[in-house]
Amino acid sequence: MSKSDPEFLSKLSRESQAAEKLFIGNIATRLGRSAISPAPEHPFRGAPEFWTSYELGREEQIARFMGNWQAAGGFTERLATMSDLPGVIARILREQNAGSMIRQNLTELEQLGLEEQLPELRHAAWDGLDAEDSLRTAEQADAGIVLADFAVAYTGSIVVTSSTDKGRSVSLLPNILIAVIPADRMHTRLGEVMSRIASVPGEQFPAGVHFISGPSRSSDIENDLTIGVHGPGVAFALIVG
Amino acid sequence: MSKPQGSNVKERAKSALKDEFLIDAVKFTTEKLKNGKKAATEEHGNWEEWRERGRLIRAHTISHLDYYLSKFIENARAQGVHVHFAPEAKDAARIAIEIAKHRGAKSVVKSKSMVSEEVHINEAFEELGIESIESDLGEYIIQLANEPPSHIIIPAIHKNRYQIADLLSKEAGETLPPETKILAGFARRKLRDKFLEADIGLTGCNFGIAETGSVVIFENEGNARMVSTVPKTQITLMGMERLIPSWDDLEVMATLLPRSATGQKLTVYMSGITGPRREHDGDGPEEMHIIIVDNGRSLQLGDPEFQELLNCIRCGACLNACPVYRHIGGHSYPGTYSGPIGAVLTPALNKNTQEWHDVANASSLCGACYEACPVKIPLHDMLVYLRNRKVERGYTASGEKMAMKGFKMLMGSHKLFRKAVKAGQIGQKLLVRDGYIRSQIGPLKGWTAYRHIPALPKRSFREQWPGLSAEIEKSIQPMSGEMELRMEEIVQARRKGGGHA
Repeated sequence: MSKSDPEFLSKLSRESQAAEKLFIGNIATRLGRSAISPAPEHPFRGAPEFWTSYELGREEQIARFMGNWQAAGGFTERLATMSDLPGVIARILREQNAGSMIRQNLTELEQLGLEEQLPELRHAAWDGLDAEDSLRTAEQADAGIVLADFAVAYTGSIVVTSSTDKGRSVSLLPNILIAVIPADRMHTRLGEVMSRIASVPGEQFPAGVHFISGPSRSSDIENDLTIGVHGPGVAFALIVG
Repeated sequence: MSKPQGSNVKERAKSALKDEFLIDAVKFTTEKLKNGKKAATEEHGNWEEWRERGRLIRAHTISHLDYYLSKFIENARAQGVHVHFAPEAKDAARIAIEIAKHRGAKSVVKSKSMVSEEVHINEAFEELGIESIESDLGEYIIQLANEPPSHIIIPAIHKNRYQIADLLSKEAGETLPPETKILAGFARRKLRDKFLEADIGLTGCNFGIAETGSVVIFENEGNARMVSTVPKTQITLMGMERLIPSWDDLEVMATLLPRSATGQKLTVYMSGITGPRREHDGDGPEEMHIIIVDNGRSLQLGDPEFQELLNCIRCGACLNACPVYRHIGGHSYPGTYSGPIGAVLTPALNKNTQEWHDVANASSLCGACYEACPVKIPLHDMLVYLRNRKVERGYTASGEKMAMKGFKMLMGSHKLFRKAVKAGQIGQKLLVRDGYIRSQIGPLKGWTAYRHIPALPKRSFREQWPGLSAEIEKSIQPMSGEMELRMEEIVQARRKGGGHA
């Protein structure tokens, strides 16, 4: 059963509508209003003014990003063009003893021709139309390769969003993450990416927007840092351009 | 000993203070987190401006919570989310169970959610025979130990690696060495299977974004991503005050929260989840439920002394800064939340001043919590308001009441005061050694158990005053005319409300 039956959901929906009136009504009353507040002015929206003009040049951005990613326990490489990518990725996967990989189903990644570079590996691309199989493949893959939608220099983060061709699992389930970041997708501040995300219309809005800032980690045992708990333990950021 | 025992904060603190590992671990980790925060905020710079912006955004959202919550609900529904309302903790558990039953769920995997601790969701599932597994490493450890979290950010702060190895070895059915890497590796493999099997993923929510109906989760391990990626059904428990208006505002929260919590620029993962998976996405939940929980939160709205409590972003910085928490640990506090925020939040949510009053007294009111708070909640003032309410409602212990009455009488009459000092000077003779009282008899014990009381001098200050004042009069040199003139000018300027020299 993949979805609840409509009758159950419509029962929940009726209950929800009725409960909402009381719930929100109580909040309005406590705040001293007889009806829900109209859209208020929000004069403090977003970062302080002095911050919104903070800008780094492209080279500074890349240096800052790489410093942050490394400090978080990840690895970085800088490449001149996309044509340098296949060789670098092949080298990394061999060094890491990867036997299989899954990538987002994107033209940029397909054109790398990794199948020819690494004939000994099992290759797969995410396919949302074959959900169960894609999930199983991602779970068993040693490496996941993604093309970042954005990157943020100041925090050392990449951003990936979900779609039919871009499963969330690709950047999550395999133990090795390789993120390709075209330099022109790099921004200085988080806020620059936030506004771009917020401007996507509702019907196209991705269900998953994930900021990733290095390998998975935990300090829950005696505050001793462990890398690779649940998410990828090996995280490469490859900056192109 | 694993968890401090006792019915009030004093007993629990005493029991915690006997546990040397707990004391060392809590001190070590809170110190590390505190230093991490200090370094991160200094590096980022302009911290006060960021704090003020954070406070303004949170205060604005809470004072228009009816509007922003309605917007959030509208936008989440438009993305296909089923929204539910839980006025009380038991309602949240009831709704979650109804969904789980309908789905025929056998197992639930959970990522960290303080609200789920409030509503005791694990117990509710387990009563029905549904397995409910914590997947955050620290939460998993304390679940195996059957204990509540003792720190908002580091739930198993009180456990050492030997205790953890014992707990995980029992789970593994073999002896695991007390090495962090191996223990974490075991948890990863074990929980990976649980993620893949689970029917329902249950998450908390750091922020709800009103403009898009998105749920935002900050984490380092990736377990919240697992919980919201693999299972077919997702249930998110959200405190009704978790909202921010926009993604732009998320930049401010993302600047304040990780730096204040662990000193990170950003947690390894920050995920914005907006509705269930799109039609051909392939992963992410097919069905998504958000349960919005009140459970005492709305009681703070419109209360001038406590409304700001709802601004809290649950970073734990006040715990790390608090000299009391650092000594007695999280389990000395009753309820889900510990430290300064817990001392105020627990009685506020429970609307139960009487039962929790002892925690409000376990504070030196030093204000370190306020200094540490990224959204400037005046927790130390709130502790005073709590004490005040306790007195107003007549929950003061009878001994304390009598003492206060006596104090009032004594201080209201100089004759009585003089007599009392005289009586003390005579009465103390039996107890004073080398100028100090060390005896621990009767009511003195509360003080003398840890320090000495200096004896009352043979002649009190009041008795010495006539001689002292005459001496002072004699020693005063007349002021030079020039200086007198200058002082006079300053006084005049101040009287007019003018600026200082």
